[in-house]
Amino acid sequence: MKQKGKGIGCMWYPIGFTVAANPSAATVKVNEDGTATLLTGTVETGQGSLTVLGQIAAEELGISTDDVHVVSADTDTTPMDTGAIASRTTYVTGNAIKLAAEKAKEILFEVAAPMLNVKPSQLEAVDRKVQVKGFPQRNLPISEVALQAQFVQGRPPIGSASFNPPTVDMDPETGQGKPFSTYVYATQIAEVEVDDETGQVDVLYMSAAHDCGTAINPMLVEGQIQGGISMGVGFALQEEMLFDEKGVQINPNLTNYIMPTSLDMPEIDVDIVENFDPTGPFGAKGVGEPTAVPTAAAICNAIFDAVGVRVTSLPATAEKVLKLIKEKRANENKQLAPAE
Amino acid sequence: MDVKLTINGEEKSASVPPETTLLRLLREEFNLTGAKIGCDVGDCGACTVIVDGIATNSCLMLAGQVQGRSIETIEGLANMDDYHPLQKNFEDLGSLQCGFCGPGIILSAKQLLDDNPDPNKEEIQDALAGNLCRCTGYTKIVEAVADAAREMRGNREAA
Amino acid sequence: MDENVKTAEREVTLERLREIDDDLRLPAVPEQVSYPIETLIPEARTQTPAVGQRASRPDGRLHGLGQTKYIDDLSFPGMIHAKIKRAGISKARVKNIDVSEAEKMPGVMATLVGSEIPVNSFGPSYQDQPVMVNGTVFHAGDPVAAVAATTEQLALDALDKIKIDYEPLEAVYDPIEAMKDNAPQVHEGESNIYSSKVIQKGDVEQGFEASHRIYENTFSTQMVEHVPMEPHASIADWDGNGRVTLHSSLGRITLGRADIARTLNMPINRIRVIATVVGGNFGGKNEITTEPILALLSKKTGRPVKGVYTREDEFMSSTTRHPFIMDYKTGMSKDGKILARKVRLVCDGGAYCSWSETTLGKACILSAGPYNIENLYVEAYAVYTNKTMTGAMRGFGAPQVCFAYESQMDDMAHDLGIDPLDIRRMNAFHEGSASPTGQVLESVVVRDSLEMAAERFGWQDWNK
Repeated sequence: MKQKGKGIGCMWYPIGFTVAANPSAATVKVNEDGTATLLTGTVETGQGSLTVLGQIAAEELGISTDDVHVVSADTDTTPMDTGAIASRTTYVTGNAIKLAAEKAKEILFEVAAPMLNVKPSQLEAVDRKVQVKGFPQRNLPISEVALQAQFVQGRPPIGSASFNPPTVDMDPETGQGKPFSTYVYATQIAEVEVDDETGQVDVLYMSAAHDCGTAINPMLVEGQIQGGISMGVGFALQEEMLFDEKGVQINPNLTNYIMPTSLDMPEIDVDIVENFDPTGPFGAKGVGEPTAVPTAAAICNAIFDAVGVRVTSLPATAEKVLKLIKEKRANENKQLAPAE
Repeated sequence: MDVKLTINGEEKSASVPPETTLLRLLREEFNLTGAKIGCDVGDCGACTVIVDGIATNSCLMLAGQVQGRSIETIEGLANMDDYHPLQKNFEDLGSLQCGFCGPGIILSAKQLLDDNPDPNKEEIQDALAGNLCRCTGYTKIVEAVADAAREMRGNREAA
Repeated sequence: MDENVKTAEREVTLERLREIDDDLRLPAVPEQVSYPIETLIPEARTQTPAVGQRASRPDGRLHGLGQTKYIDDLSFPGMIHAKIKRAGISKARVKNIDVSEAEKMPGVMATLVGSEIPVNSFGPSYQDQPVMVNGTVFHAGDPVAAVAATTEQLALDALDKIKIDYEPLEAVYDPIEAMKDNAPQVHEGESNIYSSKVIQKGDVEQGFEASHRIYENTFSTQMVEHVPMEPHASIADWDGNGRVTLHSSLGRITLGRADIARTLNMPINRIRVIATVVGGNFGGKNEITTEPILALLSKKTGRPVKGVYTREDEFMSSTTRHPFIMDYKTGMSKDGKILARKVRLVCDGGAYCSWSETTLGKACILSAGPYNIENLYVEAYAVYTNKTMTGAMRGFGAPQVCFAYESQMDDMAHDLGIDPLDIRRMNAFHEGSASPTGQVLESVVVRDSLEMAAERFGWQDWNK
């Protein structure tokens, strides 16, 4: 018979390296037509980080995502970056880019201030315009300011900056310290169906509520969460590298190493928990890794709720779950048997 | 051996060693690198192309087996006027992340929509079951295929 | 060069060179690839403010058109292909490597063995990993020799002609066995435990004494591969100025370049690393792999050399997720408050440290869960075994400990008759909570995430 169950997985996860320096540097160049080019040494590994980083630069300069072109991943031309690791790109590289864009913007403001008869500190960059705070009708198109800066005043609006998350060393004996600048939090709740005759587990539904600080691009955050859940489903139920008694892997191929296909995926609802981290770029933290963290826990708790067996070693394959169900039944029968 | 075939509507020929797979033929002889080598043994679907209307793992087919047949690759899907609705909807929803599985998945989906213009979610999942993706959880991919199907049905009704 | 390594006397005739060149097929005339002339810009990309927009990705369009160029889609004039011979034995001393038969094969242009690598070690925490085996094999996926040939197939065929004599050595595969005093040592040294961490907060024994009930469980997790759909790939091009350009699927190029410079014993400014779009990383492409090997093969042959992992290489030789063995002892009050927790983590590090230090550290800190625990003691060990090395993978130990602390949480809730949602609400961090390391936490939304997920799920009204 198929039994349904629900289970929670709740987690916290840090952004960036544990204590160790993990800096990023960035350069933002505003072109003479008000578009911009961003140089970053991070690598797009599929998350959409270049799009998010472009959005951060655009936000600081008051222009649109499409106005920023991102150049990345070339050690000869792009600045130092610790890279696509430790869920650090949006937070660490993002902060470096925000600072770099701020510097380029300062030049624009210094050039625009006399044109608008105000001080640079009275200006803001909004909707592709440099405008006076509180007097949006007093403005100049960013293209005009950038052109003026570059070709009249001879001050190309370029900014470079770096960022490293502030941490405090951990005491070697007690581990006390501040190993990370910030953390994210999340809960996933799974609904599963367990066939108690075969041990087969199907994940039917997953509700996922993740904190990432400000979602710079909600669509890409959803994509990370959905992808993380698929990796979590594989970790929970299917995937395992197996070795023979001589330490040689016996399933080094995708025929015998089973990972989730489109048929293994549950229906997913994603919620982004509203949050703002004052230390992140525009309040953002990160989302990449945490999405894969609580899934297996939620699924195994749902298995427990469905059939009352506790999986203590992953993956919860059908064989393993069936064995646990049989053991549980044998114990129950023992208890039911009349005393001798 | 000499192979003659039609690729994206154009007749082509090549002379290759007999052990050449369709995948290598496309990538190495015709520079059509949209079909990817993910496993080279038919497990991952990254090399999917359409052979005479059937989505096929091109790594499992020898060049000799496609003699005289018609191949569609990802490079032939868009034309100078417009993207294919699948390509447009995959882009709009951010369906692909690293993108390595993308050409194969889009071609599997194309065959599905060619055969079944109004698939339900299970039918879409079924059609994509041979294409592995590690990034996306398939969620936005399945949504984009459904959206593309709706758009194509709309276009047909309007025509 | 190592005396134990035999290479063929090179007798390459002009005729042979011509044959080799005939095999080097230059790219044919490019196909006409079509896409719409007018560029559509989706609205969300043109809106201000930019932050918060569901802006689609410019690379997403290229993925759909099949225009994204991954490393394996690139080729350069004269480019040749390299393949790697793997040990296939998990612990052994290499007595002899004979590459002479391989070098005689038509189309084979060069071979490379570990003794030819200037500085044959690397690693993010400890430099305990050789680029290629140099005397001792530590796990079955270790690279032992490389071949560069005019085609991939010829390179693969040549691998079979390489003869290696091994003297098998005693190996250990189970991390608990490996921790024992008399265990075979994976690397020379006194212990297979290469990293340990402790976190101590409050008084855990006092906490247990005050507890209504104490729960003890052991959990374990398995070894998992990242399975990026794109296998690791690189192309090395050593030029006449002694400068090498590497197109690589690395996810962290700056530090990768430093590793390459170290192993090649070259100034950093003579190395250029270019990463294209990486076809999936998940932590698995944070290490250099074959880059120094390809660079040296390019130096030997004067040609660009491409090396792409087979799927089997990917499993056998790239990093994987650490298996964990986790002992949890937790003391609870009658109403469901966690009063004390003691955790012992053993992480199977495989043959090399790689990112185990970081993984162990993160797992330690996170092992308490997102819960307020006054009395906590965590000890953790990373242990060498003769298996594929474990490294960075999405979550650095967090999915493992989360499986343990959340499983035990539900067992305890069940035993105490408390709803799993309530027991978490009751213990969850709040703004200003002190973390296990004593850090005051800010922007904390554990409870909000619990409430939101539960509401969306319909937790209260859900029926079997």
